[in-house]
Amino acid sequence: MKTTQTQRLFDRIESIRLANVTKKYDDRFAVDDLNLEIKGGELLILIGQSGSGKTTTLRMINRLIELDEGHITINGQDIMGFDPVKLRRNIGYVIQNIGLFPHMDIHDNIGLVPKLEGWSEGEISGRVEHLLDFVALPHETFINRYPRQLSGGQQQRVGLARALAMDPPLLLMDEPFGALDPLLRRQLQDEFVRIKHEIGRTIVFVTHDIDEAFKLGDRIGIMDGGKLVQVGTPEELILAPENELVASIVDADKKFKHMDTLRVKDMLSHLDDKYIFESGMGVDQALDRMAVNNVEIGIVCDGSGLAGQVEMADLLRSRDEGKTLEDIAESSIVFSPHDSVAMALGELKDRGRSVAIVMENERPFGLFFSDEVLLKLI
Amino acid sequence: MVTLDVIAAATVEHLVLVYTTLFLSIAIAIPLAFASLYSERLAFVIMRFANLAQAVPSFAVVAIVVPLIGIGFTPAVIAIMLRALLPIVKNTYIGLSSIDPQLIDYAKGIGLTDWQINRHIRLPNAYPPMFAGIKFAAILANSIAVLTAIIGSGGLGELVFEGLISFSTERLLAGALPAIGLALFLDMSFTALEKRLTSGQPR
Repeated sequence: MKTTQTQRLFDRIESIRLANVTKKYDDRFAVDDLNLEIKGGELLILIGQSGSGKTTTLRMINRLIELDEGHITINGQDIMGFDPVKLRRNIGYVIQNIGLFPHMDIHDNIGLVPKLEGWSEGEISGRVEHLLDFVALPHETFINRYPRQLSGGQQQRVGLARALAMDPPLLLMDEPFGALDPLLRRQLQDEFVRIKHEIGRTIVFVTHDIDEAFKLGDRIGIMDGGKLVQVGTPEELILAPENELVASIVDADKKFKHMDTLRVKDMLSHLDDKYIFESGMGVDQALDRMAVNNVEIGIVCDGSGLAGQVEMADLLRSRDEGKTLEDIAESSIVFSPHDSVAMALGELKDRGRSVAIVMENERPFGLFFSDEVLLKLI
Repeated sequence: MVTLDVIAAATVEHLVLVYTTLFLSIAIAIPLAFASLYSERLAFVIMRFANLAQAVPSFAVVAIVVPLIGIGFTPAVIAIMLRALLPIVKNTYIGLSSIDPQLIDYAKGIGLTDWQINRHIRLPNAYPPMFAGIKFAAILANSIAVLTAIIGSGGLGELVFEGLISFSTERLLAGALPAIGLALFLDMSFTALEKRLTSGQPR
């Protein structure tokens, strides 16, 4: 048995309680008498403007910020009774700017804490390989790269893998997708929803994006001026907002929109040229282009129009095989801008897909994401 | 007539003097640079002193140690260190203190102790400026080690001074040319060490 190993403070989270938690900077309350219970296994979102105290609250849980008054308990034990270093090694932490160490390759970045914990080189490599594959980065390709050789989306995946290195029962995530471009953000959110179910951990997640909150959160806590205004499920917040502020944040008016009159063109996401790839392009070249433009999905076109779509994960599986995009593109679901939204949503649901391409005059014009459209309709 | 034996012996003496000084300097400079991180006063004093020391003529430094500690190998080491130490401290401190504070915050967030942050995050990020400082110090040490022959350190400087006194160009060059070669060798040796420490990292 290794003697350096940090003891596991908790195997699973029953509950995290914040009671009368207050943090002051001079005379200003960063967090003001906050009470909140986070249940084991849930994903709780903290949302609010910058300066609302959401990040301060998050950082008090792993003691990067020490609270002034009140108590935070995990499974009934006051966190002030734990050694901060031990506490943090039991909690995964992901931040917006990812914070990968530039002088370490991906293996060392993910394996740093396990190494400090005295794991053997074999145990570390096994864990790193497993985690890279888990976040859809084939380990043979990525394990020896350096952070600056990765795109923003890939770095963020490594950031998540690193947070999972010690298999922590609790994850703190501070706007992890905030710095990514909108389409890539959506894609990572989709993947995160899948991962969330697989890892089954308690997660506290800070964001300022209400769509992201609705998409990922089991419950959402709305913060303003250092106070927690309301906590509830998305439905509770929409149907019974506590005040004007909550109503405006969740935009409760949206639920009255009429779906019958809406057309696909009203709800699509516009498509930048960087997402369009020629069908004759080689797989390796396409990967380079994706990395440069920081995208992970490509719409494949040939001379006569749409040829299908490719995802970075599929391209990575076929690299160095001399294939072109034509060979591996999957067929896409296609709508016209004038199709009805109701019909489009129905078809996506029937075919078990979440994204379709909108074509006009034989050219890709936009993307249609079912979950995003649903959110706008709530 | 200068025999190869004489040149080789002088070169070895010279190398021992230079490397002894450099490794002592590095061993003192790195803790000092870390200490400066925790004390603004110390950082201020060191930066001031470092800039001042650049301005003092090397010959004056060599001269000044004689009345204080006499002549021989140790006074020579101290004289050279007075000049070589500060560029290393200064550059290492700049490297240690210019790291992105977010990285430090993150390292703390994943449960690194202060010592581990210094060892695994700060120090490796300071390697490029640190080695620039060491190489600069190496060139300085090599040239001052020629001068310290005058206070009895031995080495290639002895040949140079003998050559000057006896009007022997041959003797003078037998000391000067290896000294030039050593400057290149020193630079290469520290470049190789830096590469080893940062192995695999893309530039």
